[in-house]
Amino acid sequence: MKKVTIDPITRLEGHGKIEIFLNDEGDVEDAYLQIPELRGFEKFCEGRPVEEMPRITTRICGVCPGAHHMASVKATDAVYHVDPPSVAKKLRELFYCAHMIHSHIAHFYALAAPDFVLGPTSDPAQRNILGVIAKVGLEVGGEVIKHRAYAQDIQATIGGKATHPVCGLPGGMSKALTEEERRDFEEKAKSLVEFGKFSLKLFDDLVLANKEYVNLIVGDIYTMKSYYMGLVDAQNKVNFYDGEIRVVDPDGKEIARFKPDDYLEYIAEHTEPWSYLKFPFLKKVGWKGLAEGKESGVYRVNSLARLNVADGMATPLAQEAYERMYQTLGGKPVHATLAFHWARLVELLYAAERLLELCQDDEITDPNVRIIPTATPDEGVGVVEAPRGTLFHHYQTDEKGLITKANMIVATAHNSAAMNMSIKKAAQGLIHKGKVVTEGLLNMVEMAFRAYDPCMACATHTLPGQMPLELVIYDSNGEVVERLTHHTHSEPLGIKVASVS
Amino acid sequence: MKTLILGLGNPILSDDGVGLRVAEELKGRLAQPEVTVEETSMAGLSLLDMLVGYDRAIIIDAIQTVGGQVGQVYLLTPEVFDATRHATSPHGVGFATAIELGSRLGLALPQQIVIFAIEVADVSTFSEECTPEVRRAIPVCVNMILQELDGSHNA
Repeated sequence: MKKVTIDPITRLEGHGKIEIFLNDEGDVEDAYLQIPELRGFEKFCEGRPVEEMPRITTRICGVCPGAHHMASVKATDAVYHVDPPSVAKKLRELFYCAHMIHSHIAHFYALAAPDFVLGPTSDPAQRNILGVIAKVGLEVGGEVIKHRAYAQDIQATIGGKATHPVCGLPGGMSKALTEEERRDFEEKAKSLVEFGKFSLKLFDDLVLANKEYVNLIVGDIYTMKSYYMGLVDAQNKVNFYDGEIRVVDPDGKEIARFKPDDYLEYIAEHTEPWSYLKFPFLKKVGWKGLAEGKESGVYRVNSLARLNVADGMATPLAQEAYERMYQTLGGKPVHATLAFHWARLVELLYAAERLLELCQDDEITDPNVRIIPTATPDEGVGVVEAPRGTLFHHYQTDEKGLITKANMIVATAHNSAAMNMSIKKAAQGLIHKGKVVTEGLLNMVEMAFRAYDPCMACATHTLPGQMPLELVIYDSNGEVVERLTHHTHSEPLGIKVASVS
Repeated sequence: MKTLILGLGNPILSDDGVGLRVAEELKGRLAQPEVTVEETSMAGLSLLDMLVGYDRAIIIDAIQTVGGQVGQVYLLTPEVFDATRHATSPHGVGFATAIELGSRLGLALPQQIVIFAIEVADVSTFSEECTPEVRRAIPVCVNMILQELDGSHNA
């Protein structure tokens, strides 16, 4: 037994970093967010059978396996030119509603609520899900865990595996839903609708009833005018699983509505020397740098973007919540970045209502869940709305169905330009004349990008299970003036160590 | 004692998957009915559900520390992450926070939790293989866990 000092994290590769550059006056000149990159995915996929992709891509990240599974299986339908039976599409959507619910509950209660329930500059020791529960009551914590578990049970039953779904196949699903399962889901869905209503009520009581928070939401430092992108159904209602991609400009006017296959006509990617992540932008508007407004091709995805591009929600209670949000925030589109949190709760209610509709659909237990593909595979694109935004999977194969090329655009990439801009804007609003930067201020800068619920997959498994973030502030000579990190532990720990010699 | 051995990680992200490799290895070598071996790629809150109902949990995961020697295996207790668990995180809930939440909610969580953490080199390249030093650490960690299990039988 020997004692060693453990300082989890600080390697550049394993963590996110915000760099803020001050000018001679001590005001913010520039701010950049860097997210580590996962390498070699395309190469990893080459030569593999395309029907394995829905199982492989769920492993990209431990946070949204359901979204990758669905985008991937839709791409394999397209590669094999097969249209799944209606019941298979409904089962996939049912699964997917549960996935959305699972993800949105975690984001709101564990990540968003602490800033509002405890306050943006409150003691970080309290500002977490434990602090939230201490304030709103233990029974609320119980409800959160219970309803997350309901959503998880539904995903596991349909997905065929507890965590990484294996249910989707080109042309449909691997198994049908039994009547017994359907009844169980229906009860859970009813409870989830109630929980969705409760969560919106909680948002009313805790956030909207507090004038200071409302001012923060609609205030300048968290506002950004951009284009928006998201999936809509034939009636232009929000849809997570299927439809066409709609884009609106900063005035809310539709400027594009296209099929998944055509995405390369609308989206191009800009690269910057300082970022691993690429910056997708609207091809027809053009890349004008990290700039706001109509002239810049920067667009946003995720909850608020989906609501901004749609004409409404397809279920009654969510529609009411949708109308209320736009009335309160001054009409469409809403550009307030912190309103992503509110939009997420509107979507939580929609996902629960839609889940219940699907559980009560006469066709949902139909056993004919797959059409066996017979066409020669070649190329296909699959798109879903991941909890974090529009997710594209695009595969090309040889005639045996082996991958020759794979491309993905993930939600966090769509938002990468916007996240950088939101961080800069928040930093500019909060740091003046070289003012001393505190932990509370660091958190308020972080809030600017937490609203986007970015997925930084690589750090989600490695202990201690949190994405470390470092904030570095430089003066006009490039000297470091502040370095703030959440993980500053360097005390000796009594632990046993074995080395490989 | 009802024991869960839980390997964590991503099987297609090089060294990130080392916890899974150790768990796989153990699966073939353990026959005690009271010991269950599982593998998962989930993190944070999702781990809570998996731990419920066991008396003891042995968790295996990758770790990156400052100046750490790749391939080292650390035996940790959840308390060592006290220093990090109060931090808000831009994504996800830390392990210690998840455990504390579970115990406040009265979930039947294991009384004993230990973590075997292996110092890793590469967690950002897609590959089904671990890097060589980390691969060599797998049998070392397996033996440490077998000893840990033996120790408790004797106690």
